[in-house]
Amino acid sequence: MNQEVLAAGDLYEIADRILRRVPRGADGEVTVTQTTSALTRFANGAIHQNVADQTLRLRLRLIRDGRSGVAEMQVATPDVAAALVEAAESIREHSPHGDPVPLYPPDGGADTDVGYSQATAAVTPELRADQVATVCAAAAAKGQQAFGTCETGATAVAMVSTAGLRRSARQSVAELIAVCRGGDGSAYGARHDSDATTLDVVALADEVTERCARNQGARHTDPGTYQVVLSPYAVAELLEYLGLIALGGLAMLEKRSFMRFGERLMSESVTITDDVDQSRLSPMPFDGEGATTRPVTIIDSGVCAAVVHDSVTAARAGVATTGHSFAQPNSDGPLPRYLCLSPGGADVEAMIADCEHGLLVTRFWYVRPVHPLATTITGMTRDGTFLIDRGRIAHPVRDLRFTQSIVAALADVRAVGAERLAARGYFGATLAPWLHLGSFAFSS
Amino acid sequence: MRDLAERLLDAADAAGATYADCRVVQRTIQSITVKNGRVNNVSEFEDAGSGVRVLVDGAWGFCGTQRTDAAGLEAAARLAVRIARASARTAVAAVRLAPAPAVTATYSTPLRIDPFSVPLGRKIELLLAADSAMDVPGTTTRQGSLGAVRHRQFFANSEGSRIDQTIVETGGGLDATATGDGEVQTRSYPNSFGRQQLSAGWEMVEEMDLAGNAAQIAEEAVALLRAPVCPAGTMTLILDATQAALQVHESCGHPTELDRVLGFEAAYAGTSFLMPEMLGSFRYGSEQVTITADATSPRGLGTFGYDDEGVAAQRTLLIDQGLFTGYLTSRETAARFGEPSGGTVRAESWNRLPLIRMTNINLEPGTSSLEEMIATTERGVYLTTNRSWSIDDRRLNFQFGTQAGWEIRDGRRVGLVRNPLYSGSTPQFWNSCDAVAGPDEWRMFGVINCGKGQPGQLMHVGHGAAPCRFRDVAVRPA
Repeated sequence: MNQEVLAAGDLYEIADRILRRVPRGADGEVTVTQTTSALTRFANGAIHQNVADQTLRLRLRLIRDGRSGVAEMQVATPDVAAALVEAAESIREHSPHGDPVPLYPPDGGADTDVGYSQATAAVTPELRADQVATVCAAAAAKGQQAFGTCETGATAVAMVSTAGLRRSARQSVAELIAVCRGGDGSAYGARHDSDATTLDVVALADEVTERCARNQGARHTDPGTYQVVLSPYAVAELLEYLGLIALGGLAMLEKRSFMRFGERLMSESVTITDDVDQSRLSPMPFDGEGATTRPVTIIDSGVCAAVVHDSVTAARAGVATTGHSFAQPNSDGPLPRYLCLSPGGADVEAMIADCEHGLLVTRFWYVRPVHPLATTITGMTRDGTFLIDRGRIAHPVRDLRFTQSIVAALADVRAVGAERLAARGYFGATLAPWLHLGSFAFSS
Repeated sequence: MRDLAERLLDAADAAGATYADCRVVQRTIQSITVKNGRVNNVSEFEDAGSGVRVLVDGAWGFCGTQRTDAAGLEAAARLAVRIARASARTAVAAVRLAPAPAVTATYSTPLRIDPFSVPLGRKIELLLAADSAMDVPGTTTRQGSLGAVRHRQFFANSEGSRIDQTIVETGGGLDATATGDGEVQTRSYPNSFGRQQLSAGWEMVEEMDLAGNAAQIAEEAVALLRAPVCPAGTMTLILDATQAALQVHESCGHPTELDRVLGFEAAYAGTSFLMPEMLGSFRYGSEQVTITADATSPRGLGTFGYDDEGVAAQRTLLIDQGLFTGYLTSRETAARFGEPSGGTVRAESWNRLPLIRMTNINLEPGTSSLEEMIATTERGVYLTTNRSWSIDDRRLNFQFGTQAGWEIRDGRRVGLVRNPLYSGSTPQFWNSCDAVAGPDEWRMFGVINCGKGQPGQLMHVGHGAAPCRFRDVAVRPA
């Protein structure tokens, strides 16, 4: 099975077949999503799980007489278009009168294949196995064992509606994640891109095996408040949780967000944007209601500037949508999808040199909100945490639990890295640099 | 469905598989959400497809397909075989499967009222009534949901098993949120994470009496805004049954998954502190603590006739009066120890690989009661309904928070407290358990968001639990 997905014309043909069946007088919005995925998983130096699948998902939202119904189908029968319309209409008929979310009108956005790679679609099971073999061999050469995933896939989406909406896009993803384990410690590394041919397998293997070699024989260190040097993997996790907790329009309207527009709550060196155009990964140019996803400056040199919106929260807030909707209707509200922390000028060596006493954290794990309004989260360090003493890495330390406000952490930024790493996010992607923070609380 | 399964097995055999199994799946998921007095969403999702898993040269391959035509099924089986051959390039040892008898069987969830037979209008009316009851002064957001799942699956393998199963789930729940004074406080009924869900019919929704319990959670959410913060210190902790279920899930269910122990999840979900040499000798908890994996528990989300390898549902002792005695296993992992499979392998749907998953991981009832535990506690807190949960990748270092707490002094609940957190290390925590409530207070809960595997799978699992008490636990406010 080649992982190539349907082109715009084919997607529209499927979507139009459904739209033509929408009952006269009703509004209809059709979303067609095709996904192909192949994932090779390895553990203890060998492939242990290896899968591929392809799905075609159809969604119809019907609105008439102040009532709406939504049906979704992931089935491959010849009469699926008729069945989908019948199901949505049946739900609509049985729903009470209300004030349905109106269809979003076309906003001039164009179809795009930016972020779609034929080379990624052409990757074979044998090539994925060979890439895994490269990582496993590099680990074995240093007396380590390799674990991780090698994944390639693609998504194609088309939306059409009776309001005249016509949008489509394709994107692909290639991801290589490696964890290496020695006798007494592990290390993590990951690379993501739209184009599988740009993933440097050897460089990743070198990074992870070298870090693993350094992360052996971790010592205890007392919990407490430390300066931290966070790798882009850890910074990406902070950005993701900040977005989930507080950077959506509904969180703002429901008073669940810390954001106070115009107030400086973070360091001047912190500028956070949601910018699909900067993303090198999964750059979907429109949202779940077909609106163009626009760049939003959320934190501008430390000052709270804006949150992201869908058409519903935008109307309530008296602003324009920013194109960050999930499929409507929903009760979750809009969320950021492409959070980017603007780069600074520092490199990681300088950050370590400038840190008198602190911790270098490779990765956070099992992060969860503790007090969302205060942006307090908890989680563990994992796969490589090191004590920094008098400007030098002294030794690895055992993993610690942190409980820390993200906003408070970003209020005391000592340095921001110049280089950034792209990572897959929960709904899109992040772009994060290294960070040197002045204060971070480890609780156990 | 049987015809599709037979074709997939024939195609896998023709392509060179030495073992093959397949699942042909049809799912229907209905979801209704009401928010702030308005119907927010009514939707239905239909899903159908097949997944074929093969062993070739001692290595695994899997392919999922929606196609039902002969060419599509053959292509899927051939791709699974090609993937398995690619897997074999790195193999260090051939996969062996523990023996399992060939089975021909059918199974259906026992239920009284099919949730899909209940008119949408009645469901919406029920949610609107509950929403109205939550509309007490001070609440800012009210949300209610109902859900129903029908999961029909035909399993077949090259060893002769043919199993037709239909699992039906029904669920519902409420959340009331109050905002102010620098706080956001939510109370949920009967559990957090959106709703309580069980393998049962509509009768479980009627039993929950959503509308009858709505006002209380709304009033508690408002009261929490001005409640004092949870006291800090080392003290006695009493968990309600919902939080006990979550504690069991994170600190007993996941660490006993044998695939984690063997490193299968080391790059993602993590490993486990429970090494095989600890079986039969490691004191996991106090004598009050008995934990079972029971795929036969009535109404559990992990209840079925046969798992996704065709192994019959079982009840396994994981922790017997505090002693670590068992793992959750598959045919592949059990074979490494010369044991039969424990029958705990499931996949989210047709396009996902079956993995070791929790069935119903139950804290067996004890002999105490919540009333007795409180009455015999000098200083402590009683915590209810999960709000925050985090545990390390070996399942030792945890920190959990709950929506509400009540301070206990001299055997009495003296007042509501907000933002409680407690933390600990798994074996020390369970060894500090000195009381578990009896069968009268034991309830089955459903978890519908248990994540594991890559590509990710959200599994529905069950936990029977009762209120329980722990001594000398670190407690503090968030």
